[in-house]
Amino acid sequence: MGRFTLLYRLMLRPLLQRPGRALLILFAIALGDAAVVAIDMAGDAAAGSFRSSMESFTGNNDLEITAAGGVPETIAAQLARLPLDLRLSPRIEDHATIVATGETVPLIGIDLVGEANGEAAQRLDQAGLRDPIQHINDPDAVWVAGALGKAVGEKIDLLINDQTRDYTVRGLVPDTAKLGGDAILMDIRAAQQATGKSGRVDRILIKTPRSGSFDDWQRQIRRALPAGIMLSPQGSATAANRRMLAAFRWNLRVLSYIALLVGAFLIYNAISVSVVRRRADIGAVRALGASRNMVLSAFLLESSLFGLIGSLAALPLGRLLASGAVGMLSTTVNALYVSSTAGALRITTGSVLLALIAGMGVTLASALAPAREASQVPPTEAMARGRREYEVRIERHRDALIALILAVLGAVAAQAPEIAGKPLMGYLAAMLFVGASALLTPLVVHAVTFAGAGLMRRLMGVEALLACRSLGGSLRRTSVLVGALATAIAMMTSVGIMVGSFRQTVLTWMDAQLSGDLYLRPAGALNADQHPTIAPRVAERIASVPGVESVARFRAYEIEYQGLPATLAGVDIDLHRREQSLSFLSGRPPVDVLRELAAGDNALVSEPFANKHHVKAGDTITLPLGETRPTFRILDIFYDYGHEAGYILLARQTMLKYLPNPAPTNLAVFLKPGADLESTRAAVQKAVAGSDLLILSNAVLRREGIRVFDQTFAITYALEAISILVAIGGIAGALLSIVMDRRREFGILRFLGGTGSQIRKLTLVEAGLIGLLANATGLALGFVLSLVLIYVINKQSFGWTIQFHWPVTVLLSSLSLVYVATVLAGIAPARIAVRLNPIEVVHEE
Amino acid sequence: MKSKWIALLLLVPLCAPAQTTYQSAQPGYRYEFPRDHFNHEGYQTEWWYYTGNLSSSDGHRFGFELTFFRQGVSREPSTNPWFVSDLWMAHLALSDLTGQKFYHEERLNRSGPGLAGVDEPSAQIWNGNWQGLIRPGEHDLSAVASSFQINLKLIPAKPPVIHGQNGISQKAEGAGHASHYISLTRLQTSGIITLNGKPYTVDGASWMDHEFFTGSMADTESGWDWLSIQLEDNSELMLYRLRHRDGTLDPYFSGTFIDPQGRATFLPLRDFTMTPAGDNWTSPRTKATYPERWHISIPKLSLDLDVTTPLREQELVATYGPSYWEGSVNISAKRAGAALHGLGYLEMTGYASPGQSVLPR
Amino acid sequence: MEHVTRDYAAEGERVRALNDVSLSVGSGRFVALVGRSGCGKSTLLHLAGAMDFPTAGHVRLEGLATDALSEPELTRLRREKVGFVFQSFQLLNTLSVVENVEVPLLLAGRRNPRPAAMERLASVGLAELAHRMTHQLSGGQMQRVAIARALVHGPRLLLADEPTGNLDTATGNAILHLLRQIREEQKLTILMATHSAEAAAIADVVIHMRDGQMVQD
Repeated sequence: MGRFTLLYRLMLRPLLQRPGRALLILFAIALGDAAVVAIDMAGDAAAGSFRSSMESFTGNNDLEITAAGGVPETIAAQLARLPLDLRLSPRIEDHATIVATGETVPLIGIDLVGEANGEAAQRLDQAGLRDPIQHINDPDAVWVAGALGKAVGEKIDLLINDQTRDYTVRGLVPDTAKLGGDAILMDIRAAQQATGKSGRVDRILIKTPRSGSFDDWQRQIRRALPAGIMLSPQGSATAANRRMLAAFRWNLRVLSYIALLVGAFLIYNAISVSVVRRRADIGAVRALGASRNMVLSAFLLESSLFGLIGSLAALPLGRLLASGAVGMLSTTVNALYVSSTAGALRITTGSVLLALIAGMGVTLASALAPAREASQVPPTEAMARGRREYEVRIERHRDALIALILAVLGAVAAQAPEIAGKPLMGYLAAMLFVGASALLTPLVVHAVTFAGAGLMRRLMGVEALLACRSLGGSLRRTSVLVGALATAIAMMTSVGIMVGSFRQTVLTWMDAQLSGDLYLRPAGALNADQHPTIAPRVAERIASVPGVESVARFRAYEIEYQGLPATLAGVDIDLHRREQSLSFLSGRPPVDVLRELAAGDNALVSEPFANKHHVKAGDTITLPLGETRPTFRILDIFYDYGHEAGYILLARQTMLKYLPNPAPTNLAVFLKPGADLESTRAAVQKAVAGSDLLILSNAVLRREGIRVFDQTFAITYALEAISILVAIGGIAGALLSIVMDRRREFGILRFLGGTGSQIRKLTLVEAGLIGLLANATGLALGFVLSLVLIYVINKQSFGWTIQFHWPVTVLLSSLSLVYVATVLAGIAPARIAVRLNPIEVVHEE
Repeated sequence: MKSKWIALLLLVPLCAPAQTTYQSAQPGYRYEFPRDHFNHEGYQTEWWYYTGNLSSSDGHRFGFELTFFRQGVSREPSTNPWFVSDLWMAHLALSDLTGQKFYHEERLNRSGPGLAGVDEPSAQIWNGNWQGLIRPGEHDLSAVASSFQINLKLIPAKPPVIHGQNGISQKAEGAGHASHYISLTRLQTSGIITLNGKPYTVDGASWMDHEFFTGSMADTESGWDWLSIQLEDNSELMLYRLRHRDGTLDPYFSGTFIDPQGRATFLPLRDFTMTPAGDNWTSPRTKATYPERWHISIPKLSLDLDVTTPLREQELVATYGPSYWEGSVNISAKRAGAALHGLGYLEMTGYASPGQSVLPR
Repeated sequence: MEHVTRDYAAEGERVRALNDVSLSVGSGRFVALVGRSGCGKSTLLHLAGAMDFPTAGHVRLEGLATDALSEPELTRLRREKVGFVFQSFQLLNTLSVVENVEVPLLLAGRRNPRPAAMERLASVGLAELAHRMTHQLSGGQMQRVAIARALVHGPRLLLADEPTGNLDTATGNAILHLLRQIREEQKLTILMATHSAEAAAIADVVIHMRDGQMVQD
């Protein structure tokens, strides 16, 4: 009991008496931990447990049949007639845009008659679809999710591909039917007609009997299918997408840990300071019989308390942050990867554990060293403070040496290839560089404050001299502060450089890629995996508009290759066109490559594709197309920053051999030289009247592309902001404790004739110096980290080659912002310093 | 006389009123085979119904039923195979008489790109993987259910029988209440029944009914009872009676007697009696009470028959229509005093929720 | 000091540190205030140095009442007229010895304080330790540095609060002699608070204090 009383009096009561400082520490832990928890939850909801929109109304099936370009509908009949007890669900899966709201929802066509069999009948029942027979042959009958707010009998305008038509609501599907969000159901025939997919269905779901082995069933079904048709477990498309998103999630996670790491620095600092301040108390307590371990456990206990409360606070805070983040992330996932609905945000046991382990782990780890120090305080404690600081000064050379070793190790790690698809060595390299920078900081601080003191005095007067000296004098503490802020700045800078470089690379690439004058695509929101089509005659009509030199037709399909999603596209090749829109890794002129492309079963693949599937020019790939599995030779690899998923490009004629549907998904219009853009555009608009198409000029398309890019990185900026906030919060607290610790000195200065404004200036100069040192170190570290990000982590995670580029404006503005914030963080402590009563502080004994 | 058509007619309440005109069964129809074994698009409703009694060499007895049923929905021309011109329903049931268990499944499909249908050139009728190959001299049936499978070869021993008079079988007063009704009354059957993974080589005799018509049952009718009987002296009987809601019997009940040479004799109401003789069984599922013992007397043929069933629970609890009892029965008869045995199939409809009669939900 | 009273609020209670004290110190005099802790001697020192102000009565330095001075005037006072020496030396650990001595001059904005500081260091006999760090010094040496610092800007009044409190007897005596010596050389007025009657003996005038009042003359 006695020990707890001691603990309470020594540790907890002072904390309660000075809640401000404790709160700042808690804030640092909670916010950093909250960022980790938030990214974990939001990442899981948006990129881990998302539900592909196409899984609407599927029920529990075992296998699915898909094929590039659609499964021939006769396959459904063939399977139905096999002497196997299978339940089959052929489906049309597409998207429709509700014209009134602009919302794009999944459009699912199912065999409303066949679905009435067996357990499916229950689902239909629940869905209120028990009596669809009445409207079974109506081409405009739809059943909509109740949430869409329509009534039975009402009309609803839907844009499907490039046509808007009127449909009639024949029934409402209640939420209990597990539609998985807003969706529109049609009978399969009406859906085929509406989407233009005659002769084909998008997917056939299969439920195998419980008895017998799953593999056996799979084998038997596989035997009955032609080579190009794919048979896989149900939901494998979703699984493939989730797999691809793994890299995305990983990088986000790592980003969030940095916020926590910054907090760690500050906890270390705070606890070190408190140890120093209480040296006399500790000495006294030890003299009274407390053991080393008691002191150690007392400090660790204090830290664990901080860690626990901070971690617990992190959960609701993280949940709050997550609800903001999940929207951003889900938008990105949809825009760049796959149409999906984010899963629910859940605080699972996993998230609680994560919060606790991360928060407490980091707190305890950072508290370990200072706590150990505290336990080493001898019972006879004199004013040996200066001596200790002196000892630290010697170590800075040793630390610098270790820093050098770490940096070399980091450089070595950065050369290593990826491990299991993740750039783990890249992360390691980054950590090593951060460590090296942290260990180098004391040397840097000492050198600057030592060498710079005279200069500072000349520039800014005695206050600056005193500020320099005081920073250099308490080297350990100053180094930690500078290190913490520098890490946050480095993170901000490195990500800023990477994003800036990426952006510039994309802009440059778009310049080359988008050589058409006008682009047409079906109206309606577009996610990365949606490819609505344009009626074939539209291209012909446009080609005959005066002023138009040529129209290139483009058709894309979503396929799966080696367990990952990929896009297969066929494009018209016009060798006479002056500018060709592709740049190749080999550097060969596009005209040559494209000529070869049209000449046989050749293909071009994008850089991410080559990276993910480890192929190079000259290799062959076999793609399941339609009912066959043709092999293509890879001619070359092209740069592609528009998609993270792999991209395969074929000549349009080649693709039509295997996937004969002639409807294009995009049209690029090239104007004759000298033709007027506006009038030609108007003429094109007239030519396509009757189809719902968007006509975009080159400029608009670029703007749109960059907008998507910026939106994607919104979450990164948010995380950076959090790190900076954590850092600044910590700085403010640290500056405050500096002021409190040096109040005696401030008192003396008053006695020696110092004015209040001189004291204030001193504090602000200190804050400014810390800011300056941190900015400089942070910038240098940030540059190094950006190299790792660009050339290692990004390349290994996603496969893109990013050209390095200094985003000067962005950097300047953010660094200035941080600097100003640091100085501002010093205002409150400065005010406190000024208000100190010199008599009180000098005579504290 | 089969039941499902009632149900489906209500599933398709207003189908084909103004747009499509279907033919109704008229007297004087000229039957031609094999053509008339297949589809009659002009008529709205049609079914092909196989039942049989089979046993394995070690005495394991089975009864089976496989029905293909078609209901016309629209006769609008369409190029899209998914367009619903007809709805196809099928029933498959297996009575394990020795094991005292009854299994049944039903399905509903559209023709689609070959999901269900009848095709004369390839001589097939099918609904998914329940199919029949109808060739002159041999019908092959195969069907897969979740716990059993049947693969049977049926060889007609007698030529097709046309029931009724003048080529139509009248069901109630007035035109439109009749059907074209063909039976193959004795098909030598052999094949394999696989039950719960165990194959049984079986043989026995089957019966095939094929009816096509357009029309509905009169309002006053509540159900009927139908029997097909195959006697050991190579003669067969088909009898049915219609019941009214008020408990009276419809005067149009009739039957057919087929002699060993295949000659058919029409048996109008006055020529026979068919009465339930107790042995009632109440279904735990539908609460219907079925009389499972019947007594038939045909004085003209000096026949007296007693009908009992070896398996009480042969009720098909249906999803797409009303539930009814259909199962294998044992016949114990006397002709002119001489004992005669036989097997057959009995169908009793309209007992499930009497009064509620025929709503499909 | 004319009828000076100084009250404090300490934990809700009113504490009277000085009670109607009147004192006049002539220029060049060495006055010792003797008394136990809490008798008010430190308070009196602070009032004399214009670091604190009376609740009642006036404190005049060279004729000027301290409570009538503005903040800039007070600052000037501290920078020009008054020097403080403390019991626990109160040196700045992050600065070297000579830099410590320079501080008052730097605060006042003097351009090149080094020569003056070195001279002052020499006058207390520590010129060769000029570039050492303060924690490398002994107690006595530290107090000398403090004295040098207190005098570097040529004040007329030196206020010493228990200057020998943290020193052993021999070192303490040396310091006291140093103070006396300085008073002789520079015609300084020294006001010293001490709890040791022996230390007080070195002064011209000894005033005993108890409970905020002077008890003897």
